[in-house]
Amino acid sequence: METDVLIIGGGPAGLNAAFEPASNGMNVTIIDESFSFGGQLRSQTQYFDHLPRPFNRERGTNLSRKLIDRLLPFDVDFLPQHTFVGKYKDGTIGVSHKNEVIPINAKKVIIATGAAEEAIMFPGWTLPGVMTIGAAQILMNRDRVMPGKDAIIVGSNEFAFDVVQQLKDVGANVHGIVESDSQMRLQNSQKIEAFKNLGIPLYVNASITEAQGKGKVEKVFLGRNGEKINLDVDLICIAGGLMSILEPFEIMDCKLVYNQALGGWIPEYDKHFETSNQSTYVAGNAAGITSIGGILTTGELTGVSVMASLGVLKSEEAAERKRDLWHQLYQIEGIQRPDTYHARLAAIKDFNTSKDRTLTK
Amino acid sequence: MKNSYDIAIIGSGAVGSSIAYHLSETKQKDILVIDKGFPLAGTSGSTQAWVWVHPKTPSWYGELNMYSAELYPILEKKIGDVEYRRTGGIAPFFSESDRKDALKLAEAQAEAGINIDVLSRKEVLEKEPALSPNIAGATFSQLDGNVNPFRLVELYIKAAKKNDVTFSFYNRVHDIQKRKDTFTIHTEKGEFAAKQLILAGGPWTKELGNMINITIPVKQVRGQILVTEPLAPLLKHTIGGIRQANNGEILIGYSKEEVGYDRRTDLDVIHDTANMAVQYVPDLAKANVVRCFSGIRVMPEDGLPIIGNLPGLENAFIASMHSGITLSPIVGTLMSELIFDGETSIDIQNYDIQRFEKMKA
Amino acid sequence: MDQSTIVCRCEEINIDEIETAIKMGAETFDDIKRLTRCGMGPCQAKVCMNLVRQLIYDYAGKPLSDIPPARLRMPLKVTRMETLASNDSPSSSSSVISVFNESASNQGGDIREK
Repeated sequence: METDVLIIGGGPAGLNAAFEPASNGMNVTIIDESFSFGGQLRSQTQYFDHLPRPFNRERGTNLSRKLIDRLLPFDVDFLPQHTFVGKYKDGTIGVSHKNEVIPINAKKVIIATGAAEEAIMFPGWTLPGVMTIGAAQILMNRDRVMPGKDAIIVGSNEFAFDVVQQLKDVGANVHGIVESDSQMRLQNSQKIEAFKNLGIPLYVNASITEAQGKGKVEKVFLGRNGEKINLDVDLICIAGGLMSILEPFEIMDCKLVYNQALGGWIPEYDKHFETSNQSTYVAGNAAGITSIGGILTTGELTGVSVMASLGVLKSEEAAERKRDLWHQLYQIEGIQRPDTYHARLAAIKDFNTSKDRTLTK
Repeated sequence: MKNSYDIAIIGSGAVGSSIAYHLSETKQKDILVIDKGFPLAGTSGSTQAWVWVHPKTPSWYGELNMYSAELYPILEKKIGDVEYRRTGGIAPFFSESDRKDALKLAEAQAEAGINIDVLSRKEVLEKEPALSPNIAGATFSQLDGNVNPFRLVELYIKAAKKNDVTFSFYNRVHDIQKRKDTFTIHTEKGEFAAKQLILAGGPWTKELGNMINITIPVKQVRGQILVTEPLAPLLKHTIGGIRQANNGEILIGYSKEEVGYDRRTDLDVIHDTANMAVQYVPDLAKANVVRCFSGIRVMPEDGLPIIGNLPGLENAFIASMHSGITLSPIVGTLMSELIFDGETSIDIQNYDIQRFEKMKA
Repeated sequence: MDQSTIVCRCEEINIDEIETAIKMGAETFDDIKRLTRCGMGPCQAKVCMNLVRQLIYDYAGKPLSDIPPARLRMPLKVTRMETLASNDSPSSSSSVISVFNESASNQGGDIREK
């Protein structure tokens, strides 16, 4: 199989990366290991603010549909249940589908495989009933299954509060939010207000010391400054944060770098989102953990970069488009998540410095 | 950590660790083992770990392998359970015309006391029902088996440490000099002096030789191996190319590529290896593959081990061989004899490095 | 935390086993993996990698930026053998060889020159 642009991962970053090349007449192939496209947005019923144009405040599930719909008029091959499994010696990508491996030759590859949720370890964390908030959300919003009746949430980021609301909506009791830090991590004042109205206890400076139960979670023990608290719960939702999924980058021979503010190990990339492998680009959470606005904007930036590198866009026009998009990224990520934005700029600078050093060697 | 020793061994794989352990048994020498990485990070941790005897020719080389296999049960009594299993080994052939080669092999190996049965298709399938009915026959020997390489190296090191051997990991050797009767080894972690030096760096021995101006005629050969999920007992024997580990995982692969120290894997070899798996054992078609790994193995230019003194450099020794796992017990024993007694119980003239010079001459 | 707490759920490896490997000098996830089998199960380290990196940091004080991620291997997802056998290598000569042919048909000659 041949394609101009192969996009690995059909979540918001990959779908948005497809738009520019596709709407400019290039053949784009998007693969996803799942049955359908949209990635995590498919189970995110919460509203997202601060989206880049042309999108407005929107539920994740609706945004997912819009991202797909606007690609439909163009030459885009959507390949669901196609899993990136490896690479041939000559650089051809291998994708498994049912009982075969399909070689795909692409002029450019965009990796938009997103992030995975971090685990948190405590005695009993492997009991059924302990799951990530993402898993709880998939059960509720995609599979229409109630993950538990009596829940506790570990971690207090924004995503955790979205899931608290959704647990309440399906009728679960949420018995508390546990945060090891001295204050909650959520900073969105609207959401903090909404949370206060729910009357759910917030345990700060606290962590789980143990989960117990016969074959599944029945009880959880919290420690807070030497004080012991125990609660009867059947669901422990872990909001341990996100980390970029790295496997595809190692297979594509992309160098990795550690950047704590971007979620830990990430691929190195330049301001065009090109990795150390010149045929391979990165977009979205795979390029460092960010907000949905950051995910969409980096996706679009990558799409423009790929077009420019294939000569579809004139270099002046491309430069202008990228300048605009970087400004947009500043307005969205730079304001919502300044630490992320500045860490990203620093990482790009470091990568350029090391590239220059290699060139002059 | 001291900086002066009687003996310095460079390389802590199966071969280097075995030599250290065997030398330490009398507790008469101060021994230091230096490794550029951590044990099992190199060749010894990336092998199927057959203890493999019967097809190794010429017969005097097969004989050395046989003696080493015979030492395994004794070694286990001394250092602990390395999961050595004498399963018997089967090397299948697929064409009836191969049978005369098989008979020739059996005849040649009989001279060295290696008993080989040349089996018919029916006999092969009686012994190992999972093998393909397309097999024409196989050579079989009771002498072959396999071992857990991770346990083997770990227990060599533990036993050597018990005998006061010093190990220095993550310590790359930069240079080696000899003045009067002392070797000075310059490493990342400082300088060490030793009266005797043993090079056991596997594929990296070539670089070590360069430091003392001796050309070590070895190549690097990459092998890629597939690993399945744990399966119910399927294979009773060690098959030439395939074996089932104690935990049920099946390891498959026999590939050779000269690509330097490049340890990547690729779909080209994975496809060919998977085809080999199904050709040999049809039931493996339904098995799940969880990972593929590769190892860089050392290959002396004539395929035979290099064991003994280094010419023109008194008190310097080398032990470099492709079958390090199979041969580690006997090589440890022989090197210990060579260093303590100046001679060995088995003639190792055939393995002298000077044979390469003679060949050229 | 209780030393018997599981770190790698696929292979059921606990904190104590991880710390024993670190005591032996292990500095990376892969060092620990080879000694303990941690991360060798079906999930291929996807869940436990950062838990182990954190334990190395806690125990040996090595900064997280100096603890590399696990080496990640093809096929990236658990894949049926028959799927991987659906193609041949695109190159005409294979580097996969038969053990029998390598040895038995090469007696007396140089067995490795194939």
